[in-house]
Amino acid sequence: MRSNPEAAGTGFLNRQQKRTLVAYSFIAPNFIGFAVFTLGPIILAFIMAFNEWDGSNPMKFVGIRNFIDLFTNDRFLASLKNTVVYSLFTVPLTLVAALALAILLNQKIKGRTFFRTVTFFPYVASLVAVAAVWNMLFTPGKGGLMNQLLMNVFHAEPLKWAASPKTVMLTIILFSIWKTMGYYMVIYLAGLQGISEDLYEAAALDGANTIQKFWYITLPQLKPTTFFVSVMLTINCFKIYDIVYMLAGGSNGVVNKSAMVLVYYIYEEAFRNWKLGSASAASLVLFVIVLIITLIQFKFEKNYAND
Amino acid sequence: MQSKKTNRLIAHIIIYILLFFLAVIMLVPFVWMITASLKLNKDIFVIPYQWLGFTPRWENYVDIWTRIPLAKYAVNTAKLTVIVTLLQILTSSFAAYAFAKLRFKGRNLLFLAYIATIAVPWQVYMVPQFIFMRKLGLADTHLAIIILQAFSAFGVFLMRQFYEEIPDSLCEAARIDGMSEYGIYAHIMLPLSKPALSTLCIFTFVNTWNDFLGPLIYLTTDSKKTLQIGIKMFISQYSAEYGLIMAASVISLIPVLIMFMLLQQYFVAGITTGAVKG
Amino acid sequence: MKKKVISTLLTAALTVITVTACGSTAATAPAPADQGAPAEETAEEAPEAAAGDAAADQASSGDAVTLKWALWDKDATVYYQPLIDGYTAAHPNVTIEMVDLGSTDYQTVLGTQLSGSDSDFDVVTIKDVPGLVTLANKGVLEPLDERIAGDGIDLSVYSGITDQIKVNDTLYELPFRRDIWVLFYNKDVFDKAGVDYPTNDMTWDEYDKLARKITDTTPGSEVYGAHYHTWRSTIQLDGILDGKHTIVDGTYDFTKPYYEMVLAQQKDGVCMDYATLKTQGLHYSAAFYQGNVGMLNMGSWFIPTLIEKIKDGEGAAAANWGIVKYPHAEGVEPGSTLATITALAIPTSAPNKDAAWDFVKFVSGSEGAAIMADTGNTPAMSNDAINAKIAEMDGFPADDSSKEALTATHAYLEMPANEKSSEIETVLNEQHDNIMNEISTVDEGIAAMNEGVGAILGQ
Repeated sequence: MRSNPEAAGTGFLNRQQKRTLVAYSFIAPNFIGFAVFTLGPIILAFIMAFNEWDGSNPMKFVGIRNFIDLFTNDRFLASLKNTVVYSLFTVPLTLVAALALAILLNQKIKGRTFFRTVTFFPYVASLVAVAAVWNMLFTPGKGGLMNQLLMNVFHAEPLKWAASPKTVMLTIILFSIWKTMGYYMVIYLAGLQGISEDLYEAAALDGANTIQKFWYITLPQLKPTTFFVSVMLTINCFKIYDIVYMLAGGSNGVVNKSAMVLVYYIYEEAFRNWKLGSASAASLVLFVIVLIITLIQFKFEKNYAND
Repeated sequence: MQSKKTNRLIAHIIIYILLFFLAVIMLVPFVWMITASLKLNKDIFVIPYQWLGFTPRWENYVDIWTRIPLAKYAVNTAKLTVIVTLLQILTSSFAAYAFAKLRFKGRNLLFLAYIATIAVPWQVYMVPQFIFMRKLGLADTHLAIIILQAFSAFGVFLMRQFYEEIPDSLCEAARIDGMSEYGIYAHIMLPLSKPALSTLCIFTFVNTWNDFLGPLIYLTTDSKKTLQIGIKMFISQYSAEYGLIMAASVISLIPVLIMFMLLQQYFVAGITTGAVKG
Repeated sequence: MKKKVISTLLTAALTVITVTACGSTAATAPAPADQGAPAEETAEEAPEAAAGDAAADQASSGDAVTLKWALWDKDATVYYQPLIDGYTAAHPNVTIEMVDLGSTDYQTVLGTQLSGSDSDFDVVTIKDVPGLVTLANKGVLEPLDERIAGDGIDLSVYSGITDQIKVNDTLYELPFRRDIWVLFYNKDVFDKAGVDYPTNDMTWDEYDKLARKITDTTPGSEVYGAHYHTWRSTIQLDGILDGKHTIVDGTYDFTKPYYEMVLAQQKDGVCMDYATLKTQGLHYSAAFYQGNVGMLNMGSWFIPTLIEKIKDGEGAAAANWGIVKYPHAEGVEPGSTLATITALAIPTSAPNKDAAWDFVKFVSGSEGAAIMADTGNTPAMSNDAINAKIAEMDGFPADDSSKEALTATHAYLEMPANEKSSEIETVLNEQHDNIMNEISTVDEGIAAMNEGVGAILGQ
């Protein structure tokens, strides 16, 4: 918390209290709805993590056994590893791609609306459609466009993409970057509008070139946006589920250990085996990881704010 | 002078080449959706895919309306989406103001708790949430979907980050002029955050429009179901009619794309700067 | 005035039923949890059943009852409405409301709906055995043994299927639909190759040779002798048909010859490549409609779909089709095959249990079976008369062997009930995928199955 200059003044309590009250009144409409219908069930889910529950029979307290079981289960460990690897690559790459696209599509160019819409398209299009196209381009046989490209242009061996444990995560990473970069681009586009033109004009007078303007104006000014994008990206990457199911599950829906991710594991435990306690324990692990990463990102943002 | 002009020309050419490739990569699935929506089911997953030169089957676009009550589903979806989007924008922008521009005890902690809950996958608390909602008599109601979607932490987070970009000095100046916090929110922050509001509007619209699992769990009466449930009805236990699925998907995409094109107009430099200068 | 009286009575009746229902939930909840004391259970349930009978009497005497029935594909399934019409014709006071929970996520939605204790479904359809086991373990399904014994229902008409779906020695569902696996073939493909059609008495060896005979690997005009959908059932389960093994045994060495056969076929272009089929998402029906697939092992559920698609033109290239019995292992009599069932169950929270049971009895019984057969679908209770009815269906192949193929001497469930069904399935699916993708060798895959399932069973 920052020091409050008014703290020394008289009538501080009343004023401070009033301020707090006003603040709470702003938060209340959203928070009450959120607390009752989302936060409550989430807290219950965390309690579930220490219980055995199938949704119907009474809960049975088991302490940390769910967690012990998790960390001795190689399917869970594989899903944890895959999720981390996936996020490690997807978060930075998507972030950079989204920022680059936003800057590109913030220029005054002809057909800007069209290009912006086109970039956002993969995010909104039906996942069945985009996955089908993707699978067609990345088909494991020699007929696929990507394999043709590999063989004829790069003179490399064709890859089996989603069908091989070695390349399945690569395929999923490429796919998610392509699918979601338009989404984060929209956030950056909105963020770019908040930067005052004055700053650029002043820099231009000082003789700054485009690259300098980017480093010393655009990037620092975008810090709140980047914080938002990186937190949301991290969370969404850790929650990846349907993309994996579509790409790696294929026509029989069998997702192999090589492509298992956390939420898929959670889904399996919750709705195939009805082990809600174990599913909650797994999600608590996910929660803690994301919380730590978010805290680190939060520290970065606050450092900037104090600069 | 001459070289600067050429440089700009070259830059422009490069930009357009990049954009062209971008458009192609992004549009392939769209073209696939449209061509697939005009085919018989068995011709869709054949390798090599036939992009051109097949006889279009326009019946698919007729069948989707008669096979299932798609029009009814579209109306339901539209209703839910509009209500959720409005509520979300209202409550989120309101709460975000407090997190960004007011100082009060526990602000950072509360904010962090907000964000952190986004990380909990819905699959985990779906069952207790459902039991709770049913106890309140909200199972199989549109109200349940509205409640689930309208009060999200995501919107608060998004708006708060954009408010952070707006200089505090603006608010301070208004406070000195005797404006109340509600006045500052309504007359200064809201007009300045049009790009952010557009963003939130787009995202909420898309998410509610495309939501599948929520309506699937909660809405069991036929007349209350939504578009995405309807589209999945073409996948039955023993067959999947991808021609119809794609036709319905193309239809369902139209409102989303129109919405995006209308709202992205607000991503124009100068909206905020003008006000800040003034 | 009259309306008021009726509504008052209805409310009263509902209250009674709700109270009894709640009582029963409490009484039966611990039942599925390995108590191993059937006598005790009986004692507990007796008063509840008696109270229920009173309600049933009420129902049959003319009070209006509405049954809520959870199912999927309401509009795409041809037999729901005829079944309901058939039942309500005899019970005009009963209204049956279908609630479509969707096909793809049916078990998830049903499980969620039945969680807690306030569900108001009276009858639920159970899609598969792992689904049954999870719901039974959750304690949300009503044990049916009491009622079956009480009404003197003869389970032998289900030809042994009901023994394979007991969870902790208790029956929680009654099947009304049973599909058996048969071998579909495209006569045109065989005619073109000048090869004799498959027969109702083929060993796997003969089948393999036949598939190879009709295969053509010329690029651009490939003919595939056989087609295997990506499910593990299409290959792995061929091994249980000799009757010596089950899929929940814990050892899977018996699947080896079948994996080796199909992998060799895949290598020689006799069937399509698993990896491509899996990522491309080609549906088995679409593959068969292409007209270049000779034989396809698939469930009898494909029969009505195929007939319909041939009528509307999509399946024209496969219009000249037939079915034969599943191939068999050396030294085993022909006619053993895989089966899947669809069944009805009653939730413990059902508001009208007795009326629901009456409906379940009807659908699973001989009257329901006749209605099922009329719509071209195979009922759980199978006999010659019913098979004849199906074979008479418009569009069914005219040859005798196709008719004969509908009779199965032994039907083994794709997955018999086991407390760990869904977890076992996860292991088997994963190793099937590894073997077919050639990530592991057959031996490695089988070793992993033995180890994985062994660990689950040993818990």
